[in-house]
Amino acid sequence: MSAINNKNCKYISQVEIKITFDGKSYSAFDGDTVASALLRNNIRLIGRSFKYHRPRGIYTCGIEEPNALVQILNEHNEPNTRATIKRTYDGINISSQNRWPSLSFDIGSINNILSPIFSAGFYYKTFMGPKGFWKKIYEPLIRRTAGLGKPPKNFRSKSIHQNHNVDILIVGGGLSGLIAARKLIDTNNEVLIVEQDCFLGGILKNSNKVKSIDGKNVFEWVNETEKLILGSKNIKILKNTLVTTYNFTNHLIALEDKFVGKKIDTNKSELTLHKIRTTHTILANGHIERFISFRNNDLPGVMLASSFEKYIERYGVAPDENPVIFTNNSSTISLVKSLINLGCKPSAYIDSRNKNDIEDETKDYLSKNNIPFYPESEVEGCEGNKKVEKVYIRSSNKEISSIKASMLCPSGGFNPDIHLFTQSKGLVKWDDKIISFKPDTAFQNTITLGSVSGNYKFKDLCSEINKKLSFLKTNELNLEIETNIRDDFSIKELWETKTNKKSKWSKSFIDLHNDVTTKDLQQAINEGYDRIEHLKRYTTNSMGTDQGKISSINSLGIVSKILKKKISEVGTTTYRPPYAPLSFAAIAGRSTYEYYDPERKTPIHNWHIKNNAVFEDVGQWKRPWYFKKYKTETMHQAVQRESKQTRQSAGILDGSTLGKIEIKGKDALEFMNLMYTNAFTKMKPMTSRYALMLGEDGMIMDDGIICKINDKHFIATTTSGGAPKVFAHMEEFLQTEWPHLQVYLNSITEQFTTFNISGPKAREIVSKVFSDIDFSNEKFPFMTFKTFNYKNTQARIMRASFTGELGYEIYISPQHALELWELIFKHGKDFDLVPYGTETMHLLRAEKGYVVIGQETDGTVTPIDINFNWMIGKKKKDFIGKRSLTRSDTAREDRKQLVGIVPLDKSQFIEEGQHIVECENLPSKIKMPIEYLGHISSSYHSPNLNHCISMAMIKSGNKLMGKKLFVSTPKGTKNIPVEIVSPVFIDPENKRLTS
Amino acid sequence: MILINCPYCGEREQSEFSNGGEAHVARPKNPEALSDKDWGQYVFYRSNPKGIFYERWVHTHGCRKWFNAVRDTSTDTFLKIYKLDDNRPDISEFKSTLKSPSGEPSVGSGNFAVKK
Repeated sequence: MSAINNKNCKYISQVEIKITFDGKSYSAFDGDTVASALLRNNIRLIGRSFKYHRPRGIYTCGIEEPNALVQILNEHNEPNTRATIKRTYDGINISSQNRWPSLSFDIGSINNILSPIFSAGFYYKTFMGPKGFWKKIYEPLIRRTAGLGKPPKNFRSKSIHQNHNVDILIVGGGLSGLIAARKLIDTNNEVLIVEQDCFLGGILKNSNKVKSIDGKNVFEWVNETEKLILGSKNIKILKNTLVTTYNFTNHLIALEDKFVGKKIDTNKSELTLHKIRTTHTILANGHIERFISFRNNDLPGVMLASSFEKYIERYGVAPDENPVIFTNNSSTISLVKSLINLGCKPSAYIDSRNKNDIEDETKDYLSKNNIPFYPESEVEGCEGNKKVEKVYIRSSNKEISSIKASMLCPSGGFNPDIHLFTQSKGLVKWDDKIISFKPDTAFQNTITLGSVSGNYKFKDLCSEINKKLSFLKTNELNLEIETNIRDDFSIKELWETKTNKKSKWSKSFIDLHNDVTTKDLQQAINEGYDRIEHLKRYTTNSMGTDQGKISSINSLGIVSKILKKKISEVGTTTYRPPYAPLSFAAIAGRSTYEYYDPERKTPIHNWHIKNNAVFEDVGQWKRPWYFKKYKTETMHQAVQRESKQTRQSAGILDGSTLGKIEIKGKDALEFMNLMYTNAFTKMKPMTSRYALMLGEDGMIMDDGIICKINDKHFIATTTSGGAPKVFAHMEEFLQTEWPHLQVYLNSITEQFTTFNISGPKAREIVSKVFSDIDFSNEKFPFMTFKTFNYKNTQARIMRASFTGELGYEIYISPQHALELWELIFKHGKDFDLVPYGTETMHLLRAEKGYVVIGQETDGTVTPIDINFNWMIGKKKKDFIGKRSLTRSDTAREDRKQLVGIVPLDKSQFIEEGQHIVECENLPSKIKMPIEYLGHISSSYHSPNLNHCISMAMIKSGNKLMGKKLFVSTPKGTKNIPVEIVSPVFIDPENKRLTS
Repeated sequence: MILINCPYCGEREQSEFSNGGEAHVARPKNPEALSDKDWGQYVFYRSNPKGIFYERWVHTHGCRKWFNAVRDTSTDTFLKIYKLDDNRPDISEFKSTLKSPSGEPSVGSGNFAVKK
């Protein structure tokens, strides 16, 4: 009735450690998993199930575990950790999940009684109405009950990525993988072996099926092989590493846990994500035992037979002295032998196969050891209070008897673990002999060896490997493998046993993780979901974190019986990566927190910080949004102050983030004429021009100012976010369409720091700073520029403006930028110069009616739509997007066009993104769609006009000047009455600009 | 992740590259002479076959060079990579190399993981 320690187990040290489970302290051995440690202490109730909150225990001994998920409190509060693979260490603190108030008394288990409403399609059917219930009641309820564990708080973990380029990757360091590796020792192939456990050996360490190899006992043979491999020049081994993903072009991803059986050191990386690129992939990842559905097959105490054996052999603990064994195949007898070796004895051995099919060796062994034997029988079900207490056996004469037992070990056969093989896009085939799918045609350079290929015969293993690896021209390796069981695998199809006893509590599960019963499968098919992919989603079968590893083939078996089809006709659902849950922290690697995305800072950045700038992200750039003059100043107050001061005296903006591209070459002029809408031929050297770049569809892509130094040399600016796109766009056309043009592009964004000084006092300030330059209107008119030498570096000043005021743009080498910026401030003090940020920039340009690409435009706006007809070089034969401007759709007169909007009541404020409509009030209940004329693209409170100004894109806007319309508000049904006006609110005559 | 053999730099990871859509679609010499329909065909329409596809790639995070490639879209296998001024390889060159994952038909998609 209680656990037995297997002192002969060589994989567990007998060093005692202390672990805590649900607040209680227990002792375990160093090397134990959470599961083996708990089993050692006779704890079988581990958690509560997902939907019905049924008591659940440990079902398996590995990655396939559907039930025993726990929360590790001392490791970031990590939820949903598989108890069956998580290794313990002294001081680990574990808690059970999905129960309240306690594991043994859980209020949520009421769901089990209410189960009729939680059947297949529950979510689709239940939360339908009444209206409004979804948002207020259903969603919060589902969110509260969803999931099993609790998400970690303040999670911060480190992990790294590592790349491997190898000739051969061997997935799995079990018997087949090791034989393959031995063949490859000291060959010219670079080989990597990936093993999920911390010991090699696979089935050799997890069972007692193999007695000896070449006369050596298996432990010695594995050690010898490992030594040979480690001594080789060409083979590496990665332990504690699980291959989760098999991508195209033999690219695989594996996750290594660096802190197996150790307390995590948060200063070091916890996980390594290995990205492996290989020429040949050898899959030797074995098989997974499947279960059988019977009444209450989820009770704590039910554990797969080979898992039970693994606990004895690998973890040195027999969870129970007298389990009942229930099998449909020949392999389970090895568990009996493991138990007998420990001095234990199964209380019954139930084999569903026909008497004549059961091996004589098995029958003899059972009778010799006096084990109650039930051939041609099956388990009808089991019962008990939060644990197995009674097992009901249906004998060959259909009569049901019961025996007392505290554990029950079913075995439903073995599935080759084809997950990775199908991820690689290989084709699988049904094998009637092993009653499972096995790999058939590989799509990539993939070789499957051993049980994953469907070969369960140890005697055939070496010849299989020699044959499949013959293309590598390595030496043949023939080993004498002696087994403890008969080598011929025999199995009888059995997916579900008939239930005799019906009670509300009794259920026969097909998916333990998601609480899907075999009844749900039947119901889903009755409701028309008879395609396996539909059925899976409707019932959530095999959609848990275990992905139905022990049960998905069983569900195909049950479905095929209901549909009266062959399993191969039912097909499988699609296997998708990852093979097992993969931590997001591992995928993220070093790209987390401050390393998530690079930050780009201008040379003035530290000055901005000192002067209380609040920053805004523009692409990767950090730009000052506004400057706080005093601590309690709000953004609105700051922006109003900065805007007013700029128009009254002068303001300065750090515009370094503007993209800058240098265009040089014999054919630069022709190229610029093709790339931009504007005509550059007649433009005088040393002048600049505002220019638009279109896509081939005629829509505005970017804007900027073009400086023409001469016909062979231009400098273009782009928007801050658009620089890479514009550069790539230019490069694409140069390479692909006009390779005959001799033009060279150079990104000089970071080679020049840019300041914008604007305002009525701008001229006086720059004259003081650059005393040898004549800034008079005659010598330095609007839209011209001068280049000069500043401390032996190139510099350029351009007269341009994005505020509507007199403005100068200074381009200076970054090494002198900060000192010049400070010099400007020294001189600017006398003229009340103010630094301003992007928000004020946006406000000032809106007052002047200038558009912002990406705010007024959204990829559906042509230059004509924003009244920029004058910028189109109509006489040019061609430029990108020109032909599209006369397409019937772009030439439509009722397109959305740019207008200005002001509220009639000047105290009202219009919000950005609101709709422009014709009705004064919105109806309280909307029956018919309300005609939508356009939307507000920009809106600000203008400090210089002292009321709200807005820009909008509105249907036939040009024809609506002076018209009264309405703008919706974020709340309520009352719209704001507005008037359509010109979008230029300040200085429409351009007096300030050009004076 | 797929490896792409840049004709200028050699084999690099796919994340260094950007796809530029169908190849061998030349920009019309005289756009003004085209009807709305013909121009629209050039601007908006590209073929999207399952199987052999001629497409453009650019080594964005590398040499920034454009080049052409023939790719089997059903398997993501690069059948040929060639420079822009190389001739368009004839489709007959690739017919025999076609290999579809899981024996999928040439049109449509679905779950064909099981061999019938």
